[in-house]
Amino acid sequence: MKTLIMIAVAAISFSACNNNDNQPNETTATSGDTAKTGMQSATTVTNSNMAINNMVKAYLELKNALANDNSKDAATAGSEMQKAVENADPATFSADQKKIFADVKDDAIEHAEHIAANASNIAHQREHFETLSKDLYDMVKVFGTGQTLYQTHCPMYNNNKGANWLSETKDIKNPYLGAKMSTCGEVKEELKQRP
Amino acid sequence: MSRMKKIGLGVLIVLTGIQFIKPASNENGQALPSDISTTISIPSNVQLILQTACYDCHSNNTNYPWYASIQPMGWLLNNHIKDGKKELNFSEFGSYSLRRQLSKLKSIASQVKDDEMPLASYTMLHRKARLTKEQKALITDWAQNTKDNLEQIKP
Repeated sequence: MKTLIMIAVAAISFSACNNNDNQPNETTATSGDTAKTGMQSATTVTNSNMAINNMVKAYLELKNALANDNSKDAATAGSEMQKAVENADPATFSADQKKIFADVKDDAIEHAEHIAANASNIAHQREHFETLSKDLYDMVKVFGTGQTLYQTHCPMYNNNKGANWLSETKDIKNPYLGAKMSTCGEVKEELKQRP
Repeated sequence: MSRMKKIGLGVLIVLTGIQFIKPASNENGQALPSDISTTISIPSNVQLILQTACYDCHSNNTNYPWYASIQPMGWLLNNHIKDGKKELNFSEFGSYSLRRQLSKLKSIASQVKDDEMPLASYTMLHRKARLTKEQKALITDWAQNTKDNLEQIKP
């Protein structure tokens, strides 16, 4: 009888395992920082300045991790970014802010999610980072920023198609090419800290 | 009854039992108003590739293989379809924000180009979904061009 039960359990858990085949990845990527931001993620952020500041903070961590070729830290920052977007509650946003946030939200969450889930694939993280950079730039243009940011352009990434990113410094530290081409890029625009 | 027989009987009971737990099938029949074909022009040769190589997991209409009605294979397939549709659903593409449509077109091109899609585990059993170099180029060019065109009309 015991063996019967064991087989039944084995058969069921076999299928159960497969049901969740791609989840462990995501859990490991997010579990590390749940403790860190546990307090934060429980509350929603309605203040628009705070909402964008949280996103910029997570984004810059992500950008710096990619510039250092550190895909693991990038994954952690990716899930921070995901939370920052998810926790932003547009209730008190202005009409323009609501509009751009509604446009960006799903897209940004998805990119952040993929960056978090691909801790072993930095090339793929960078692909999503490129579009995420555009999402955040469009939001900062409407929301303003709590710290001065620089829209920077690297003409070499993606077979010379080029790509942009936001940086907190004028010094170039390329998040697309990492150490191998660290100083490639130039500042295109300064996004001044809101007064 | 010997030990082996008991085990055999147990396996049989479990296998028979699970046949009654069937996931709902992913077959919608008619095209939704949000279907990609209603908003984006797709040449027929591209459409054919999308249908044979992508739609099983990325639309509301799966063309099920015979073993899908046998469990646990059906459960496994059902999960793949659920995950696939969450990432990209051609039947709902038109309801995505323009920004998300652009992201998806970019991902379609890069995933096909990098041989990440269609999944190797899928093409192993679906020979028709194995894309030739020319077919891959058709898909990536179409996705890239559609993206470029959409970007131009974007406000």
